[in-house]
Amino acid sequence: MADSTSHSPNVQVSELYEQAESQTAEAFEQLVSKPSFGVLLARSAENVAALTRIGSDVADLVLRNLRLAGRADVTRLARQLHRTEDKLERLLQEVEQLRDELPRTPSTHKPRAPSARRARAQSVRGSRAQSVRESRGNGTDSPMPTGTPS
Amino acid sequence: MSAIGTLARVPAATFELANVILTAADAPIGQTPREVVWTHRGTTLYRYRSDVRQHPVPVLLVFALINRPDIFDLRPGSSFVEFLLGEGFDVFLVDWGVPDEEDADTGLAELVCDELHWAVRETLRAAGEEELTLLGWCMGGTLCAMYCALHPVGAVRNAVLLTTPIDPSNSLYKKWVGHDQFDVDLIADRYRVIPGSGIDWANKLMKPVTNYVTTYRRLFQSILDGSDPRVSFQAMAKWVADNPPYPSRAYREWITWMYKENRLVAGRLRLREQRVDLRRIEQNLLVVTASADHISPPEGTVPILDLVSSEDVTHLDRPGGHIGLIAGSKAKREIWPELADWLLERSGR
Repeated sequence: MADSTSHSPNVQVSELYEQAESQTAEAFEQLVSKPSFGVLLARSAENVAALTRIGSDVADLVLRNLRLAGRADVTRLARQLHRTEDKLERLLQEVEQLRDELPRTPSTHKPRAPSARRARAQSVRGSRAQSVRESRGNGTDSPMPTGTPS
Repeated sequence: MSAIGTLARVPAATFELANVILTAADAPIGQTPREVVWTHRGTTLYRYRSDVRQHPVPVLLVFALINRPDIFDLRPGSSFVEFLLGEGFDVFLVDWGVPDEEDADTGLAELVCDELHWAVRETLRAAGEEELTLLGWCMGGTLCAMYCALHPVGAVRNAVLLTTPIDPSNSLYKKWVGHDQFDVDLIADRYRVIPGSGIDWANKLMKPVTNYVTTYRRLFQSILDGSDPRVSFQAMAKWVADNPPYPSRAYREWITWMYKENRLVAGRLRLREQRVDLRRIEQNLLVVTASADHISPPEGTVPILDLVSSEDVTHLDRPGGHIGLIAGSKAKREIWPELADWLLERSGR
């Protein structure tokens, strides 16, 4: 019975198809591993990049002449924000490092307000971060480690 | 089933196939509850809390710039994060975000020396610990290896590298982008961020028939056979299709340093004037390779085993593909317990 099932037309067609597919897959994998395919890919990538850039430049030019903010303007503003965020991050790290170096006095055992860093993360991440603050306070499981990896 | 019966099911199965493919983008992935610990630019550090935390050393997960780190937490019941939490680990995840043109100046130095370094610091602060386990997958593993080489002593106790490219000199990528005719500078100059769809297309082109035909034929076959592959297929399909752009500087440096000049394994890669010498790695090291990995073949990973100075080095080579080994249907039964056992022995005080 099992033998007749394994040789049914259904199974035979299926096996033949899978065999053909497997051989085609192998042939294509050999094709894409040829050095000439790599060169073709490189040229294609360059052409696509060039065409995309031309299209992007034209779009930016149109927007600029219409006195509208284009992508380049948004990017420039975002980069300025990044630079500010970089400075803020480094400043926060300095502050936290200094705070870690402070001698542990009784006042340090009082519950602390959320750090500036955490508050910032919360403001960025919205309601989820808000629930974190409510449930976790300052967000640490134990007092800050005395040594930091930096 | 008879041939006539099979034929009769074809229209319904075709309709179902179309539905599964068209609604894949709506599949929920990354469902495990998490908290934002820290953000900088587009990078976010998340924390997943374990209800049964048993091990003091937290695990920090790092994925590649290609695709999103949701693969660590694909779907309930098939989530590596969920598994680690169940094993009692405190889990953190670095999410590189979705770069845009303003991130064009983000290079490997920024990723390793700033974002990853700060994420490590914030992980330790949040966990209240002094050491952690750094677990990197694919390019994320390479970034972790670079970090460990720059910081051999200190925060990282254990390093786990999953299907990580270290010496890609024999890879297919090398044939595609390692030759002189591939002008990486031209591409990087013209795109401020390299479109993720382009990189995804190139990745799929490595096995074109398998990716563009076999996957869908198998899906159709399983629907025709009466099984319900919707949940598993859609979660993976959604993750595969989510390709963030790649900052052009990181792209230029990755292609040039790894594929054109192969600097990492030769010890000639420098980040912020510091030489990244893999021989300086002293952490407990677990290297996992997948025998059928065509993106990061085992022979491109194992050279690290001979380079590092670590006294505790383990290598697991298991059957599977680049992603399937860790996120496939068998992973939960096979590789995850092995990873957890290795971590468990090295995560005490």
